[in-house]
Amino acid sequence: MKSFVKTDVIRNAVAALSTALLMVGIAQAADVSAAVMTDAQKATLQKTIETCSACHGLSGRSVSPTFPILAAQTAPYVELQLHAFKDQTRADPDAQAYMWGMASQLDDASISALAAYFSKQSAAEGRSGNATLIAQGKQIFVEGVPGRQIPACASCHGAQAQGNGPFPRLAGQHAPYLLKQLLVIQSVLRTAPVMHGVIKDLTRDQMQAVVAYLESV
Amino acid sequence: MIGLRRPALHQGFPRLLTIGLLCLLSAKSWAVPSFARQTGMTCAACHTVFPELTPFGREFKLNGYVLDNIKQITGIDIDSRQTLALNSIPAISMMVQISYTHTSTALPDSVLPGALAKDGEVLFPDQASFFYAGKIANELGAFIQLTYDGAADHFGIDNTDIRYAHHLSFGGTDGNSHNMILGVTLNNNPTVQDVWNSTPAWGFPYAGSSVAPGPIAATQIDGTLAQSVAGLGVYMWLDDHWYAEISGYSPAIVGGTHPLDSTQSNVAHGLAPYWRLTYEQRWDRNSLSVGTYGIDIRTHPGNGTPLQGPTNQYKDVAGDIQYQFIGEDHLVTVLATYIHENQTLNASFLDQFAANASNTLKTSKLTGEYSYQRRIGGSLGYFSTTGSNDTILYAAAPVVGSANNSPDSSGYIAELNYLPWLNTKLQLQYVDYDKFNGLRSNYDGSGRNASNNNTLYGLVWVNF
Repeated sequence: MKSFVKTDVIRNAVAALSTALLMVGIAQAADVSAAVMTDAQKATLQKTIETCSACHGLSGRSVSPTFPILAAQTAPYVELQLHAFKDQTRADPDAQAYMWGMASQLDDASISALAAYFSKQSAAEGRSGNATLIAQGKQIFVEGVPGRQIPACASCHGAQAQGNGPFPRLAGQHAPYLLKQLLVIQSVLRTAPVMHGVIKDLTRDQMQAVVAYLESV
Repeated sequence: MIGLRRPALHQGFPRLLTIGLLCLLSAKSWAVPSFARQTGMTCAACHTVFPELTPFGREFKLNGYVLDNIKQITGIDIDSRQTLALNSIPAISMMVQISYTHTSTALPDSVLPGALAKDGEVLFPDQASFFYAGKIANELGAFIQLTYDGAADHFGIDNTDIRYAHHLSFGGTDGNSHNMILGVTLNNNPTVQDVWNSTPAWGFPYAGSSVAPGPIAATQIDGTLAQSVAGLGVYMWLDDHWYAEISGYSPAIVGGTHPLDSTQSNVAHGLAPYWRLTYEQRWDRNSLSVGTYGIDIRTHPGNGTPLQGPTNQYKDVAGDIQYQFIGEDHLVTVLATYIHENQTLNASFLDQFAANASNTLKTSKLTGEYSYQRRIGGSLGYFSTTGSNDTILYAAAPVVGSANNSPDSSGYIAELNYLPWLNTKLQLQYVDYDKFNGLRSNYDGSGRNASNNNTLYGLVWVNF
């Protein structure tokens, strides 16, 4: 499986892993700082979480697939994305419409605290769908698409799609949200260096299969 | 809304003739870019197509318009209590509407000398509004609209809603706890505080001609009380499902003589209770709400009679349903409401403004809306008002009267919208009457047919 991973993919993966290690360190530091927050800071954090819940749902379990489920998302990934929204380096249409504003006033400590909060929420349960599609999607997720030199998603996102540091949790995520992300990443509307190489030859049918599987996990 | 507002029920002829159509001002509603400036989010976050709200838009309003993502000017006291939280950019917006109205058969000038802009004329502006719309303090926000009305050549207060909202959680740990918003609203139009578009103040049509003839009758809660009452209420929004509100409305007529006297008309008496209960369910990209609302209001007819003694009582009980589908490309909305009004017209009957001591009115509205990528779309609405005949309230008169003394009117509204940008709407609307003031043909006893009032309305609507 690894044999057909392109060099640039490996390079990007190494870079991302380095970032992951850094982010894990940041997250751990944030966890410590969360424990020593003042009452005022805790109240501010609570208010921010309530604001997030308007779209992302109570405890990060969103109802509408326009908005991703954040419950049990990896803290480093949430942190990276919030920074990317704030810095406006993640620039897909929904990022601009919703998150550029929402993240604009978040400081580093708040970002870390939010990431820690969502990572600790219990995960949303998977929703079943078209069995054939799910089976096709599982195969892509576990084995990749060797003929198109697409590596297994599981190699970065975890065998159970539970995420790994900066590689987001995908299990139980809304299928339409995941599909949209694959499309905007493929068209480079959303910058994601590792993924650009990985999914550049993934067809729309394959995308639909893999997101159906991920929603069911 | 389009000409669906009637001259106040207590008015008799000939006053109705002279001021009737001037009362047919549209109950219009807006979206305001100052919210976008405050939140840093595009219009699409809160609106499907403005002014209709998305679930997030409803949350934003229920939270008191206070969500901000811009630098704040803040202050705290010695106990760390926040004493000031002010947007660094004032929450000011402006709206301009430029319209063109063409009525199927022009109004006879001899009946309404100088009362209205002529048929087929452009209104520039139809309306122009200034808003303060946004955060005022930590949990306090406002939507305040001042409007210049081009047809009436009048500048004054329009829809206003000032609200305080407090968020709390109780009854369990994260994930199992209940979330509640408790709020207070101070407003000047029953249902302007509402967050669903199935109630009158923000209901379809969102804009319509202010110069075309409109039906003679409408219920009190269907725009009749707009900007002539002041309401204070408390509301609760529980777990993103249940909304409950109790408010009380008092007279607050703007302009004219003060203190209010017999030269005014339809002046609220005492405190009128208003209620609202709604359940909303959201799933996937869908939301469905089912609710009830209503008001029990007493009024003095005024209009030359003292504001004392017997009153008219209007009991409006209404139900409403709203369904929304908000897809990536396709957006669908269905709105429905039914309003039943019982009128006990002790004062109007005594003053011979009404022939009956009691009447009823029933209004139904059903609207379907579609939009593709929030860019191009259309709506189709059905409206109907029926009620008991009254030989004085609904007397025969050219254009505005009823030959068979009936308040019954019904018809369809078709609309096409194009939004080149999210804050700019080009609208083409056609109102087609099946029945107008009781009849399809010669409804006024002067030879005018319902279809003569069919109206084409073109609108350029910009918000910035």
